[in-house]
Amino acid sequence: MLNALPWAVSAWLLAIGLYGMVSSRHVVHLIGCLSVVQASTYVLLLAAGFRWNAIAPIFYSFAPGTPAVDPVVQALVLTDIVVGATVTALLLALALELHKKRGTLDPDQLRPLSRERKG
Amino acid sequence: MMWLSVLPPLPVVGPLVIAGLLLMASHGLPRPIPDIIALATTAFTCILCLLLMRHAGHQPLVYWFGGWVPRHGFPLGVGFVIDPIGALLAAFIGLLFFATLVFAWGYYDEVHAHFHVLMLLFMSGMIGFCFTHDLFNMFVWFELMSVAAFALTGYQLRTSALEGALNFTVTNAVGSYLFLAGIALIYSRVGALDFGALERGVAAQPHDVVVISAFVLLTTALLIKAAQVPFQAWLSDAHAVAPSPVSVIFSGAMVSIGIYGIAKLAWSVFAPSGEIRHVIRVLLLAMGAFSTVIGGVMALLQRHLKRLLAFSTISHVGILLIGVALWERGALAGVFVYFIGHGLVKGALFMVAGILLALCGSIDEIELRGRGRGIWPAGVAMAAGGLLLAGLPVGLMSGGSDFIAAGANALGQGWLLWVVSLGAGCTGGAVLRSSGRVFLGLGPVAGHERHSPTEEDKEKADRPLWLMLVPTTALLVLSLVGTRFASDVISRATLRFMRPDNAMILDGAQAIPAAALALRAPPISYTAWLSVALALAIAACSLFHHRMTRRASRYFQPIRPVLTSLRALHSGDVRQYVMWMAVGLAAFALAFAVS
Repeated sequence: MLNALPWAVSAWLLAIGLYGMVSSRHVVHLIGCLSVVQASTYVLLLAAGFRWNAIAPIFYSFAPGTPAVDPVVQALVLTDIVVGATVTALLLALALELHKKRGTLDPDQLRPLSRERKG
Repeated sequence: MMWLSVLPPLPVVGPLVIAGLLLMASHGLPRPIPDIIALATTAFTCILCLLLMRHAGHQPLVYWFGGWVPRHGFPLGVGFVIDPIGALLAAFIGLLFFATLVFAWGYYDEVHAHFHVLMLLFMSGMIGFCFTHDLFNMFVWFELMSVAAFALTGYQLRTSALEGALNFTVTNAVGSYLFLAGIALIYSRVGALDFGALERGVAAQPHDVVVISAFVLLTTALLIKAAQVPFQAWLSDAHAVAPSPVSVIFSGAMVSIGIYGIAKLAWSVFAPSGEIRHVIRVLLLAMGAFSTVIGGVMALLQRHLKRLLAFSTISHVGILLIGVALWERGALAGVFVYFIGHGLVKGALFMVAGILLALCGSIDEIELRGRGRGIWPAGVAMAAGGLLLAGLPVGLMSGGSDFIAAGANALGQGWLLWVVSLGAGCTGGAVLRSSGRVFLGLGPVAGHERHSPTEEDKEKADRPLWLMLVPTTALLVLSLVGTRFASDVISRATLRFMRPDNAMILDGAQAIPAAALALRAPPISYTAWLSVALALAIAACSLFHHRMTRRASRYFQPIRPVLTSLRALHSGDVRQYVMWMAVGLAAFALAFAVS
């Protein structure tokens, strides 16, 4: 039961994040929901490398060979966080510029090429 | 050879270092210096990749970062494994960047060389993606190229560019997270990230649900990048609003590299699983066929030229996906030939669009009617590009599609030839129609595309025509020459691509000798003429016989709702795109559950 929990949490975060994005009414909210989607990958990665009754993979005060959780996935999560920060920062910068130009961040009104020209 | 052993990471690391230095020095450099440095770097990278290709022909070049070589067949570090196909594609990418930077000479006024820095990052991301032999490393390069692409789309901070960049970023970011989720799943089952070790893991448990889920997630992410139906909608927004030099790279290499990723993962990791092979043969084939047709039809409905070309990219990348999904050596060789041919032709066409934006101040086919007369050489290039897209039987594109057609025939899937001709005919026809209207002033003032969305747009005008025409012509000429050579090299190397030599890479065994013979070029498929005829007919109908078209359109009345809803799918609303992505992912997973 407990073993399945992180996988279920991850799937739930993915689903709820996508739902939030689809039903969003504000670009910043949409970006927040994208971060929720990303959070599902954190949980999934950590679950993939977790071991019961194991130490953190730092062998400063433990003998090498003591069972530890998988350090590889932790490195992956770290990279994931960097990627997420980059993308979120870029998206928020785009949103900020858009708000300056259009005065709104309602996705209903932000559609590239959708303003038809007369004639 | 000592020097050869340190060469493999250089095409990636070199541009990265130069990009960093350029960024540091960008405040002090006078204007042409960043241009020159970036041009020299791309040219150097291209030559280096060609050199690597020559040496990889004998046996793949293996490079383990930090000297972490595998022990007892288990990979400890991250490696690059360069086979001739990866090296050739990397060389092509370098060439495309070189041509684009020539095209963009003086495009940007500002002194800070941010454009060049981003372009170099973009290039190293793509080349790293071609070279890597590690799933997570692949994700890192994927992400580097995505982020550079996002930033380049919105680079000019125009309103529509910002909106397009937002859609592009959101959809592709979801794709990256799916990719990462796939990595987590397969790592949890196999405990390694190296392609060779993963392949062995998959071979040990080919029916495992977790492995199959990982395949679904990874492939969906790459299909989003490759803009295949139903994941395609971001592409037309991003390509239409990005600066023209950036669109050249997007359509020429970035989108099709998603297909390369799918082929790479399918052949070198997931091939041992029968279920996965089956779904590739059925589902990905259908997806490619759908994309080919829908992209072609949508291209016909556009009057925004860059958007038109963007939809034609969806169509042609669909043909690439068909080639991969046929799961056959000849078709796969055709995919790589077509990859390069399409990149060259489509790059040249986006350059023509850029010339129109710069010299005629518009990208709207209707508004530009007859205004291209003064720059007729660009019109010749555009018409030639249209004919090549339609499948005119010369050059790399037709060489590639002949291989794919022969593969389809050999597998008894002859109907695919009709799909390919329909898609190619529609996109070629759309391009020919536009060139007739813009450069010859033919056709009615407003066609049936009247209601297409469009907007004011302009690009920097003070660049001479010849400067922009030289790279355009060079790309077109390159797509015509060397077909024999490219087909020979690629068809010989495809066998290595299909059966990666894991015993050599991981266990340090002797390399399997490259005994594979080149495939003989298949005969020109009669459907090539069919699609050229279709393209000419479409162009002629919409330019000359307007009244006839109108009468004929009565018979097409029943499909009008289909066209309207197709158009509605590309509304520009990112929430809809995300919804379709979720639907596509669910359908993909369901296909496995059923089969």
